[in-house]
Amino acid sequence: MQVRDFRAGVRDWIDARGDEIVAALGDDSVDAQLDHQRRVQRMLFDAGWMRWGWATRLGGFGGSPIFRAVLGEELTGRALVHTASWSMHEVLGPAAAEFGQPELIEEIFPRLLRGDEFWCQGFSEPEAGSDLGSLRTTGRQQDDGWLINGEKLWTSFAQHATRCVVLARTGEPGSRGISAFLVDMDTPGVTASPLRTMADVDEFCSTSFIDVQVPAHRLLGEINGGWRIAQYILSCERGPIFWQRGAWLGHHLGMLLGAAHDAASQTTLGEAYEMLWAFRAQSKATQDRIALGDLPGPEASVDKVLIAAADQAVFDAARELLSGVIEVDDTPRGLAWRREWAYSRAATIYGGTSEIQKDIIATRLLGLPRSA
Amino acid sequence: MAETMEATERDLMAQTLRRLAEQFDGEPLSKALADFGFGQLLEEAPREAVSALFDALGRAGSMSAELHDVLLQPLTGLLNGATEAHCVVLPRIGAAVSGSLDGGTVTLRGLVIGRRPTTVFLAPVTAGHDTAWVSVADSPELTKRDVAGLDPALTVTDLSAMGVAATVVAQGEQASILWRAAATAGRRALGYHIVGAVGAMIDLAVEHACHRVQFGHSIGSFQAVRNRLAEAHVARTAAAAALELAWEADDEYLAGMLAKSLAGRAARITATHCQQVLAGIGFTAEHPFHRYLARALVLDSLLGSTTELRRAIGRQLVSAGTIPRLVEL
Repeated sequence: MQVRDFRAGVRDWIDARGDEIVAALGDDSVDAQLDHQRRVQRMLFDAGWMRWGWATRLGGFGGSPIFRAVLGEELTGRALVHTASWSMHEVLGPAAAEFGQPELIEEIFPRLLRGDEFWCQGFSEPEAGSDLGSLRTTGRQQDDGWLINGEKLWTSFAQHATRCVVLARTGEPGSRGISAFLVDMDTPGVTASPLRTMADVDEFCSTSFIDVQVPAHRLLGEINGGWRIAQYILSCERGPIFWQRGAWLGHHLGMLLGAAHDAASQTTLGEAYEMLWAFRAQSKATQDRIALGDLPGPEASVDKVLIAAADQAVFDAARELLSGVIEVDDTPRGLAWRREWAYSRAATIYGGTSEIQKDIIATRLLGLPRSA
Repeated sequence: MAETMEATERDLMAQTLRRLAEQFDGEPLSKALADFGFGQLLEEAPREAVSALFDALGRAGSMSAELHDVLLQPLTGLLNGATEAHCVVLPRIGAAVSGSLDGGTVTLRGLVIGRRPTTVFLAPVTAGHDTAWVSVADSPELTKRDVAGLDPALTVTDLSAMGVAATVVAQGEQASILWRAAATAGRRALGYHIVGAVGAMIDLAVEHACHRVQFGHSIGSFQAVRNRLAEAHVARTAAAAALELAWEADDEYLAGMLAKSLAGRAARITATHCQQVLAGIGFTAEHPFHRYLARALVLDSLLGSTTELRRAIGRQLVSAGTIPRLVEL
């Protein structure tokens, strides 16, 4: 399968479905959003599109991650799914496939691709945000597995998730004493309590783990090898997830074209598009490298800074051009724009803040001495 | 030479151009480039030639007249033979064209970037509601002023003339297409030139940040300094990526505006941040920083500044009624 044929096929398939796949923009709750996504994902899996870019042992048809980036782009570029929820299998899938116990992964992965399962990411904690290496959730080894205790924060969609990739301290302080586990969310002792975001959405949770028993084969990779897995996961985010987020931003920018009547608004629009293009031009090279089998390194911190800037430029432009819609419009259209604008405020925070990215750039790319 | 050069061949060429740009400036550099065969290189592998030469000029802080050859490339079909004695008159800063045609005579108001012995000036001008390209022979009727300005070493000449005889070399739709092509070629070249100068500014500031000690630490270990330099690096990287894609996007005109605009953006961000990091020493005439700053900012203003291009980009998006992806995976 050539990428170009795949793209044409996906487009034709979407066009032929018509009203069966309505835009996800009208969804007003995370429940509705995820129900919609499950339905779309199942259709895509059955039609095969969802399986390209994943290894056959995982239930896929093989091929490079470019297929996944293109599928994500065609879906989010028409707002047929939300980028935030559509990215979860992309965030966690590759790491689980790479580091998970093969029999387990081969059993559950097709369910993830089909939309029967939804996974979440248990990384951040109340005391460990940017300084992830200081996390305090503990994993204590027992005869037949692990006992996990601690609290995770900002776990997106945890209340809807089937499984969670949890980072826990199993050894010495710092990044070398952390292990990663794939934990079932229905295990006794796991409680996900939704936290409302400023976008007025129950998107993320505070998730507590009290004496949670985790079987030995749920360890991902090696004991105390969790930092490498965390890096791998953050690195994977620079791939298809960023590309499809860019398409989602392009879709929203397109909705502003009719509102740019004067020179000032055309300049605002032009600047937002320029920022989006800055991201896309940089990300194109990253996607091409990923297709050749490379894992993005510190140079992809540039991609993260750029997409966050583009995200905020697009929704800042929306606030300016849609005069008042974001501030005072209570119609479904106003609510949708408000939600997306508010979500864009977090673009420089989630997935490693812009400050952390700039620190990586300063040390690893510019060769400056480490922070004082 | 194949359309895409081998990587090793490309590296070798870039190294040579960089060495020449460091060694020579002005007319001696033009002569060295001619001996190297730059004209033929530009014809056979324009992408490699333009990116390597203009990046080298930006990094070295030197100047030559090859921008004219780049601007003239789309026009070669209209000109009989050699273009070495031709110069293109660019619009003055803030202007859209370089003059106006009325009957058989032309009024010129424009800038010539880079000096070389010239017998013929070519200029994009208005002709009623249309665009035309005119050719004007050098004569005492043309008023030429060597511009010092913010960047005296850039060798800018302000050229003006009232009602001089001109030959129309292209008009109507054809002239407008050629102007868009020449502007795109020029924006790419200026973009590389700016990004080269931006790279030099970042190198100077990084070097300084690594060695300058205050409060007992290299200032490069302070987050305020690190963030500024990282932001400059991000802006430079984005502009370089946009320049690469400006040769392959399906709308080259739009992609050319975007690349130039992002280069200008990188110039502004880098000039501000690196100046601040270099602090007192960077404000002295003795330190080379200010020359790169001036170079990048003056080039930003030519063929549309970042501010002007953003407006033009927005206008084009609105009239097209779509957000182009420009490239696909």
